Amino acid sequence: MKNKIMRIATAISAISLLVSTAACGLDGDETSSNKSDTVNIGVLYPATGQYAEYGKMFKNGMDLAVKKVNKDGGVGGKTLGLKYFDTQSDAKQSAAVAPRLVSDSSIIAVVGDYSSSASMAASPAFQNAKLVHYGFNNSSPTFTTTGDYVWTPQVSQETFQKANADIVAKKAKKISVVYIENDWGKQAFEYFKKEAEVKGLQIAYSSSYLADTTDYSSMLISATQDSPDAVVDIGYGPDGAGIVNTLRDKIGFTGLFFGGQETSEFLQSAGDNAEGTIITGTFSAAGTTDSKAKQFVADYRNAYGSEPGNFEVTAYQAIIDLAYAANKTSPTREGIQEALKTVKDFPLYQGQGGTFSFNVKTRRADGIQPILLIVKDGKFVQYDDSAK
Amino acid sequence: MITAIFSGLIHSSAYALVAVGMTLVFGVTNVANFAQGSLVALGMMVAWWGGSALGLGFIPTVLLVIIITASVGFLMNFIVIAPLEGRKPIAALLATIGVGQIIDHGLQLVFGTQTRQFPKLLETYNYELFGIRFGTSDVVMFLVTIVLMIGMWLFLKNSKIGQAIRATSQDPQAAAQMGIPVVLIRHISFVIGAVLAGVAGIFVGLYNVTVNPMNGSSIGMTAFVAATIGGLGSIPGAVIGGVVLGVIESIGIFWFGDGVRDIITFGALLLVLIIRPQGLLGNKDDATSEPLTGTFLGGGRPLVFPVWVNALLVTLLLVSPFIANNYIAGVGTQIAVYAIAAVGLTMISGSAGQTILGMAGPVAVGAYASALLTKDFAWPFLLAMLFAGIIAAVAACLLTFPVWKLSGHYVAIATIGVGAVMVAFIRIADPITRGSLGIAGISAPNVFGLELDTVQKQYLFDVIVLLITLFIVNRIRKSHVGQVFEGIGSDKFASQSLAIHTGAYKALAYALASFFAGISGSLLAHQYSYIDPTNFTSNMSILILTIIVLGGMNSPLGAVLGSVVLVGAPELLRVTADARIFVYGILLVVIILLKPQGLFAKKV
Repeated sequence: MKNKIMRIATAISAISLLVSTAACGLDGDETSSNKSDTVNIGVLYPATGQYAEYGKMFKNGMDLAVKKVNKDGGVGGKTLGLKYFDTQSDAKQSAAVAPRLVSDSSIIAVVGDYSSSASMAASPAFQNAKLVHYGFNNSSPTFTTTGDYVWTPQVSQETFQKANADIVAKKAKKISVVYIENDWGKQAFEYFKKEAEVKGLQIAYSSSYLADTTDYSSMLISATQDSPDAVVDIGYGPDGAGIVNTLRDKIGFTGLFFGGQETSEFLQSAGDNAEGTIITGTFSAAGTTDSKAKQFVADYRNAYGSEPGNFEVTAYQAIIDLAYAANKTSPTREGIQEALKTVKDFPLYQGQGGTFSFNVKTRRADGIQPILLIVKDGKFVQYDDSAK
Repeated sequence: MITAIFSGLIHSSAYALVAVGMTLVFGVTNVANFAQGSLVALGMMVAWWGGSALGLGFIPTVLLVIIITASVGFLMNFIVIAPLEGRKPIAALLATIGVGQIIDHGLQLVFGTQTRQFPKLLETYNYELFGIRFGTSDVVMFLVTIVLMIGMWLFLKNSKIGQAIRATSQDPQAAAQMGIPVVLIRHISFVIGAVLAGVAGIFVGLYNVTVNPMNGSSIGMTAFVAATIGGLGSIPGAVIGGVVLGVIESIGIFWFGDGVRDIITFGALLLVLIIRPQGLLGNKDDATSEPLTGTFLGGGRPLVFPVWVNALLVTLLLVSPFIANNYIAGVGTQIAVYAIAAVGLTMISGSAGQTILGMAGPVAVGAYASALLTKDFAWPFLLAMLFAGIIAAVAACLLTFPVWKLSGHYVAIATIGVGAVMVAFIRIADPITRGSLGIAGISAPNVFGLELDTVQKQYLFDVIVLLITLFIVNRIRKSHVGQVFEGIGSDKFASQSLAIHTGAYKALAYALASFFAGISGSLLAHQYSYIDPTNFTSNMSILILTIIVLGGMNSPLGAVLGSVVLVGAPELLRVTADARIFVYGILLVVIILLKPQGLFAKKV
């Protein structure tokens, strides 16, 4: 009994002492002004774990971008650097490391993470610190709702899936749709369905599939039994390859396939089955007509010996855009936020190229239009559907 | 429909093949080898390498896979599992989780992160039946499964080594006295298990066509379910379990789509366990032992500090938010929240001796309950947090209600199913929970009008909740109920003969643990501001269990220490870049080897 009283008494006195003397300690770090010659962009990304392949693509694009920025004179007279933080795209780790980026005064903006759950768990820390969180891979419609410092240049799924449904409707009447069961896939399917109804496209069958599925047979047997004109997959590369392989090799489905992802991973793992697949994308290394994008493709090929895809280009563009923002205002946290609101001509590498600006209300880029891609001879090339 | 059943049958022999290896290792070593799936992935990736990069044919590839998986299996037992002999089996279980992480991330480091096309070592689509194509590979896979089943059965029954393996698994001490080289026999068992996994990997690769180094965990989990349905330890059972699971999944997915596959898989598991607790072909006697935890608290007793040390620790914890910089406070919030769930878990898994492998379920229920109560019903945060705990406890109780009549390791396995089904229900309860879309814009924690808008404030609040949790759990441990929990954990049969209804008390302990898990879920939801079902994976369940095993099953303070190590270590290991989780796995294994009874416990 005595012990307990002692313990409680100690605890209470300790608390009261603390609260009276050190209450100010709870308000977060003071961000001291950055005197060095380098400013950094903090990167949250999956270097390890199941999404590591995407992390690798991001890193390739960003490393290339930062080289270009510094070759062209840096940002406001300072050198631009990148500080990478592996999160495995896991909310627990991104939330834990986010405050570290906040207290690093050399970091003027944050990009990433791969998934919504990891990105959005980190957002509140950046929002409170008035540090721009630039979720270049986060197309989720709720991503920017955390606050006015959270931005994304991703083409919204609504625009994207509208274009997707439009091209499918041109080629097929009755379709089966499968989509990946996560926030992105579910949202994308809802938009796809909405546009399909508008276009009079009949969705005869639809099913989601779990992200860790490796055997798609039963679902696709069900999806193809009413012989639809086409099977549409709204998902990523590895699952897209699994689905088209199962359709072609196992079930012997000869109708059209729309799906997969603009990555070399998809092309290699689907092999010949990928041939003729049409997808809605934002970038074509072979087909882009924009001069700076062509330069990017050449630089990328020089550096890595392969063609860049959508993930590499969005990562590359994110760094270029933020550097552009810093040069228009100042290489500071306030400068980036100010520039995202005011600058109207961010360089655009995706879609038709040119420039883009943000809608200040939604903090999204409205103007970026998706393009169509088709697999020809084992490569994604731009597809012009008016030609046929 | 016939096509779907036939396709399910083909797929089921892949399940059966992996499950045979799983059940063999379990049967002869009494270790639930959580690295078995990773060994399958190892075989798969080595076969990919042999078949494509080296251009080997089928037979040389098989030999290469056998050599490599046999070596890894031997090393695994020699370095990690054998030294833990005589310790609580839970230490070995935890060690296999660590080894699994080392293998998974080692494969990523060696083979890269890409998904690749598996080489066509055998023809894969040269036959057609019932409207579906299959190949020589599938036929060979089926034959290999049958031959292995019969071969293993004859080997274990008739050969000298086989008999020695069985004798060792039944009673190692008696076997040793009869002159059986127990150490060698265990090595042989592990090597056989690893080779079976590796060979299975080749066929799984041929079947799946595309392979990725991270495929192991889901393959392992499904095979584990198949082995359990068939009856753990029974080799024909593993084959039948594989077939049953393959066909049920196939028909279920054919009707309801792949989005509910986890409910089909784990629902089938729970159903079989409830109707036939020892699995389809399992021996009823097998179901009485509890290999996943120790009886008589085999490992150790929690350390007890003098009062002044406790007071000092409490003070230090409370001071830490005031002096922590943003980063430390940010990591601190995660450590504290996981510690809250883990401290609660010590009551059921530590005191009452029941391993729970599905804690992500109640954490998810708590997170969603709290998010929805504050968002849709405008409840104040504190009240919502409290109710999140209560709702999680009620949900956990209802779903696990039939589980407590099970015995032995089947309860622990059933909790995997319950955890997965809870999260799956949240995902399909679309109109209420918004399903996979997740819930965005969850308000920051708000305590009596004070919004916790900095990490330091959130950390301070987490620490206070943690201290309250520790206080309550310690009070319960000292109370009559706590003594009963402890009694059940120490000796279930003695407790039963004292007319203690062990199932009911375990249910109560689990409900209490779920209450705290729900609270921690609520804290996570409000600190992350966004949650979706992908937050609450089986990795989360395993992490929470690992925390208390590492801390010393029975020690609430150990749980805090375990959380500091396991949640904090990935941050400290940032210096190792790409090898971070690989090194984390090694660290985990080393700690277990050095302190198998847990960090915060002493040997008895």
